[in-house]
Amino acid sequence: MSEATFMGVPRDRIPWFPTIDYSKCTFCMECDTFCPHRVFERREGDRKLVVANPNNCVVFCRACSKTCGPEALSFPDKPGIIALIKELHTVESAQ
Amino acid sequence: MSRAILSCSGLDKPEGSVAREVAIRGAAATGSEIVCPVLMNRAPARYRKLLTESALIVVDGCSTRCASRLAAGQEAKVDRKILISDAVKTSDMALESSLSLGPAGLALAQSIVDDLVRNLNAPAASLEPDTAFEPPTEYLVVTHDKFEFRIPAVDYLFNENDVWIRVLDGVARVGISDYMQQSLTDINFFDPPKPEGVVEQFGELGSLESAKAVFEVIAPASGTVTTVNSAVVANPGLINEDPYGSGWLVEMRLTHWSEDRSLLQDGAAYAEIVTRKAEEA
Repeated sequence: MSEATFMGVPRDRIPWFPTIDYSKCTFCMECDTFCPHRVFERREGDRKLVVANPNNCVVFCRACSKTCGPEALSFPDKPGIIALIKELHTVESAQ
Repeated sequence: MSRAILSCSGLDKPEGSVAREVAIRGAAATGSEIVCPVLMNRAPARYRKLLTESALIVVDGCSTRCASRLAAGQEAKVDRKILISDAVKTSDMALESSLSLGPAGLALAQSIVDDLVRNLNAPAASLEPDTAFEPPTEYLVVTHDKFEFRIPAVDYLFNENDVWIRVLDGVARVGISDYMQQSLTDINFFDPPKPEGVVEQFGELGSLESAKAVFEVIAPASGTVTTVNSAVVANPGLINEDPYGSGWLVEMRLTHWSEDRSLLQDGAAYAEIVTRKAEEA
């Protein structure tokens, strides 16, 4: 169900998705309740929440982290991702 | 206009303790009435008149944003917002880990209040919006279940983060799409970018907030912010009412338009993206 491309670049080549810091996460599930793209999944066991569908994450969206009181969610460095997308876009456009 | 100040209850995190302190000191420094979050939740009628007549300052300790959500739930008119966890990051202070405020927490609270007072007293930016922009007349419509999402058929370009741009003679006007305003539901706060601020394509042009989410406005092009729509700052509901017209957010002077343009979608291509997003959500 994930989108195939973002700005003409294959989505799976853009490493933009949240990472959960399990030393901070309280499994309050605010992020999972909020995210309409089913990026997270709830599981049994110690890690009750995982990033199951990273490519469903909307590139540059960090809205889930803004629901996170314990600040357990982080995203990659944005300028680096922008540079990568522009570089890949140029390559894709040339093909 | 009178002012009121609402903070989170601030009882379970050091940032919450700072939020409470900011509310107490901020109320004294600005002549605001304090709104108790617990009482507001329990008996909202107690504050209904005050919130109707006052500009509300909301102070959240952490990103759970309890105070903001409470304000949104009461449809309060929010004038300013302060997020203590962000203030901690941007200050060089290391906040004490105890819930009782120490010297660092008290100093941070005072510096936040000083900034608040300074900002309240600062004159409003006087830049005038460009009057050449006309609202769209022809729309594409994406229908999903009972929802209809309108997309201007011509002149508007979009990034995949649901932000539109319209360009006239090197000046651009920027806003969010009908799809995004409906996704956010009632927008109750626009935190604008700084006038004359320089932004790269895909950088941030401020943020919008509703009871549902905080939405970063992703810049569709690189440039300098020339004008912030003061009508939307005063009444963010305009974005819901008229996202492509009076609900525009900022105007920019573009710097790399020919290059940036190649990464944007026209109305027809964006309609396909909206169709897919609506089906996935």
